[in-house]
Amino acid sequence: MNEKSLPVRLKNFVLALGATFAFVYLFLPLLTSSCGILNRMSVYLDANGIDPTRYYYTDVEQVKEGEEYLRSVLEEK
Amino acid sequence: MAQDSNVVIDHGQSSWSDLWKKEDYLAIWLGFLIIAVCYLAYTSFGPKAEYAEKFASLNQIQETELTAAPFKTIAWHQAQDGKGKLKGTSTAFGKFAINSTKTPGSWKTNPVDSLIRSESQAKALNDKAMPAFEEAKGKSEAAFAMAVAAEASAKDASFQNQALNDDAAAKIAAWRDAQKAAGDAKKKTENKSYNYIPTLIGLGIFLAAMFGLGIALMGKSMPAFMQGFSMVFLVAVLAYMLGGQAISRQYGFGAEAWGVILGMLIANTVGTPKWVLPACEVEFFIKTGLVLLGAEVLFNKIVAIGTPGIFVAWVVTPVVLVLTYIFGQKVLKMPSKTLNVVISADMSVCGTSAAIATAAACRAKKEELTLSIGLSLVFTAIMMIAMPAFIKAVGMPEILGGAWMGGTIDSTGAVAAAGAFLGQKAMYVAATIKMIQNVMIGVTAFCVAVYWCTKVDCVAGKTVGAGEIWHRFPKFVIGFIGASILFSILDVHLGKDMGGAVMEHGIVRGGTKLLRDWFFALSFAAIGLSTNFRELSKYFKGGKPLILYVCGQSLNLVLTLTMAYIMFYLVFPEITAKI
Repeated sequence: MNEKSLPVRLKNFVLALGATFAFVYLFLPLLTSSCGILNRMSVYLDANGIDPTRYYYTDVEQVKEGEEYLRSVLEEK
Repeated sequence: MAQDSNVVIDHGQSSWSDLWKKEDYLAIWLGFLIIAVCYLAYTSFGPKAEYAEKFASLNQIQETELTAAPFKTIAWHQAQDGKGKLKGTSTAFGKFAINSTKTPGSWKTNPVDSLIRSESQAKALNDKAMPAFEEAKGKSEAAFAMAVAAEASAKDASFQNQALNDDAAAKIAAWRDAQKAAGDAKKKTENKSYNYIPTLIGLGIFLAAMFGLGIALMGKSMPAFMQGFSMVFLVAVLAYMLGGQAISRQYGFGAEAWGVILGMLIANTVGTPKWVLPACEVEFFIKTGLVLLGAEVLFNKIVAIGTPGIFVAWVVTPVVLVLTYIFGQKVLKMPSKTLNVVISADMSVCGTSAAIATAAACRAKKEELTLSIGLSLVFTAIMMIAMPAFIKAVGMPEILGGAWMGGTIDSTGAVAAAGAFLGQKAMYVAATIKMIQNVMIGVTAFCVAVYWCTKVDCVAGKTVGAGEIWHRFPKFVIGFIGASILFSILDVHLGKDMGGAVMEHGIVRGGTKLLRDWFFALSFAAIGLSTNFRELSKYFKGGKPLILYVCGQSLNLVLTLTMAYIMFYLVFPEITAKI
């Protein structure tokens, strides 16, 4: 890769980054707005502050809510 | 020394100096130093004693109310809310820790919004959210008035009239829902202005110095590390910015994914500058992050939803993991055992966090971790949308659907998203099942580490002694499991209220988790910056990793659904009825 000249490498970087950005920031929003279920989910997640990128339970507020709800209905009066 | 093939051979070369020179030990010391500072800040030098008094007083109110009425009264709930407000993160240290480890925020159209928000922008956001809050507040106040009236009617009948009691309990539940909605709406009116740039510069210097010291102890060049670290940190910051965009987040492409993508684009186009490579200390970042993650692996969480949850999460998961691994070895003949086990754990346990822990425990190559997480991200995005749609289409009960998604979708955030799309109860069940499954990563990492150094890393027909096993064992796993056991005991010892206020909302959310997030973000940026596309493509040859993931996930879907149905509808229907 490093055998190529700097302008060629820079061009490749810009093209690759551009393609990635186009997929995430152009294609996915277009797909979301044109598909009913995706659009509803997008609005729902935004309204409820749910972040699907968080991977561990302590990162997700809704886990605590769920735990507290289940504790209240299963263990207590 | 002449030896036959079955004689124990010890090649262990461990020495005392490993304690301050080896990466695994340094990760443990660094992790536990952070844990100790946070522990002292929230207990001995923190609000623990003050909280104990307040909890005692509020618990007294709750006990009195429970004795007086056959349902949880308004005063009981108000005392509960009072307990919920006692959080370590509200203390001066908590605020300092949170403010000084800020990650770039979310944005929709302008990436600069993730770093800087002016007063006028904050005011505009608050003004926009105000009508919804006013409406929700009005509904909450109306629901409260109805709850007060219903409870008074029940009280007038000395709580002997079942119809009045039921009506009061229902009105109180409606008030709680309305109050929660008002609380959520209020949060959207509390936007503040910020400029994270100075904080990020300070954090970058702090992290460089902290890890730089470890690098120096390992006998490597600290100045070279610190120079390269600036680039790794910059990529991690950019990854947080890109992952903070609303649509990117919706599909599960967060900072970790962007760190790898951005790093790989740099490495494979312009090329990672040579001066950056000394800072690509992937394992040091990951292992330290895992020791901190240990503080969040609380074994007592596994009883959160009773026996059905344990069966769905703790019986199906290891069965799927082991069967997928065997399938990969015997049927698919995966060329790499480490790739096989990382994909198996990633798919069956809990996605990214399990992949990180397992990869570090079996010393998988960074390309193998990247590939596993890539597969998990793609399938998580698909399953997060397809599963609730399918469950709704076939009319599956909400609790069953929630348990099914909680046991199969990899990432916790995606589980919450899919569950919420199905309904509130589905989300509660799904998120709780996932939490129970999350706890399994400690056991998984430990078992994989033991299996690897006693079975996989052996010459066929030869046995190894304890010294050699100890030498091979990834020591950071001891720190990871140690932190997990210590915090599990501490959580039980402190009790539900104090544990929540001081540990979860103090030591963890106001300390260890904040740095753990950054350590993993740094490791993914470093992975990307040191990964070659050609190397990565070798591991994907023949599409075997994809076949392994699809077959394993299919088995997971079938077994989890079957177990969830048996447990929630045949064996413990009374638990399902209560939910």
